[in-house]
Amino acid sequence: MNQELSSGFTIAANAPIAVALAISALLFVIGLVGFLCRRNMIIMFLCTELMFQGAALAMIAFARLRMDVSGQVFVIFILTVAAAEAALALALVVLLYRKRETLSADAWSDLGES
Amino acid sequence: MVPTIFYAACAIAAAGLTLLLMQSGRKFRMGATILGLAGIAWILVIVVQTIPTPASDIGPLGLMILCAFVSVASAVRVITHHRPVFCALYFVLVVVSGAAIYVLLSAEFVAFSLVIVYAGAILITYLFVLMLAQQSPADIGSADAVDYDRIAREPAGAVIAGFVLIAVLGGSIFSVSEQKAESILDQNRAIRQGWGDLSMMPKLLLEQARRTDLTVTAVVARTDGQMIAVQTDHSAIISVERAGQMTPSDLTLAPSLLPDNTSRVGMALVTRFPVSLELAGIILLMAMFGAVVLARKQTDIADDDRRALAGLGKVMDGSQSSQGKANR
Repeated sequence: MNQELSSGFTIAANAPIAVALAISALLFVIGLVGFLCRRNMIIMFLCTELMFQGAALAMIAFARLRMDVSGQVFVIFILTVAAAEAALALALVVLLYRKRETLSADAWSDLGES
Repeated sequence: MVPTIFYAACAIAAAGLTLLLMQSGRKFRMGATILGLAGIAWILVIVVQTIPTPASDIGPLGLMILCAFVSVASAVRVITHHRPVFCALYFVLVVVSGAAIYVLLSAEFVAFSLVIVYAGAILITYLFVLMLAQQSPADIGSADAVDYDRIAREPAGAVIAGFVLIAVLGGSIFSVSEQKAESILDQNRAIRQGWGDLSMMPKLLLEQARRTDLTVTAVVARTDGQMIAVQTDHSAIISVERAGQMTPSDLTLAPSLLPDNTSRVGMALVTRFPVSLELAGIILLMAMFGAVVLARKQTDIADDDRRALAGLGKVMDGSQSSQGKANR
C-alpha cells in the first residue's frame, strides 16, 4: 500500500501471500517425497532440511499476513534447531558409515528385535 | 469446480515427479520435466487466480512467481540428482531463492540470517560429511553414481502420499480465500505495533526525536501516561524536553521514523520470547556436547590402537587401559 512506510513491513501491504504458502506446501511435500524415496542417509537428512524450509516459509508468510514479527522470531528458532539437528545427525551418519562402509539406509534394515 | 481443476494440476505435477524419480524414467527426462513444470505452473496460476491481487502488487507477484519456479525446480533436483554433492549445491539454490521470497515478504533480517546460517554453515557441514563419507576411488571415476543414489525406493507411493497432502492443503487455501484473507491485513494495526515497539526502545526513540528536531534533550511521558500517541495519518506525537525550555512540548514523528525489521525482531526476541532464547542457547550447547562425544569415541579407539602398535601398553596402568576397552 504505502511504499514509504518503514514499519518493518515495507514492500507492499497485499503481497502475494497465497503464492508463498503454495511454495511452502510444495517445498514441504518435495522434501517428504525425497525423504521417503532416497536411500542415501545424508540426502535423507537434506530432505528434512527441505521440509524445515517449507515450514519456515509458511511462518514468514503468516507473519506477513498478521503484520506480526512473532513468526519471524519463530523462524530464527527453527534455524537454531536445524543447526543443532544437522550437527548431531551428521555426526551419527559418519559413525554409521564407519561401521558398515556404506551410506545406504538399506544397510541398516536388519535392525530390530532378534 | 475450482478444487477439481486444482486436483488435476496436482495429479500432473505428481506424474512428472514420479517419472523423474523412476529409474526407467530417464528416457523421458525432458518430457517428465515439462510435465512437472506445467503442473507446478498450473497450481500457481490457480492459486493466483483464486486470491485476487491488486494492480499495485503485480511487481512483487511476478518476482515471487520467478522465485517459486527457481526454488521448486531446484528442490526437485535435490531429490532427483544422482550425485550427493550436486544435491547439496541445489539445496543452496533453494535457500537463496527462499531468502529472496523472505525479502519480498518484508522479513529482511531472517532472510539474511537464513543465507548465513543455511548456505554458509549447515550446507558446508553437509559438504564436509559428504567428502568424509566418500565413495571408493573406483566409483568416483565411473560415469554413474552408486546404486543407492541411482535407484529410488517406492517413488510412486511416496509421490502419491505427498501430493494427496498438497491437495488437502490446497483445499484449505481455497477455504481461506472465501473468508476474504485481505480483511486480516490491517495496516493500522501494524503501525500501532511499530510505534508501540519504538516506545519500548528509549534510546532509539530519543535518536529519532533528535533526527526530527536537533534541540531535543529528552523524551518524557505524555500527560496521559503513555509515551506515544498514534495519529490517524500514521504519524505519532511524543512529549519532549528541548534545550532552553522548562516545560515539555509536543513533537510529531513522521511514519518514516518507525523502527525497521531488524529492531522489531530483536525487540520481540528479548521482550516476548526471552525464555525461548535461553532454551535455544541450551539446545545449541547440547548439540555441541553431543557432537564432541560422538566424535571423541572414535579418537579414543584410534589412540588406544596407536599406543598398542607403539608398544606403549606396558607404560599405561591397568585402570586406564581397561577404561579404553570400555570405550570401545
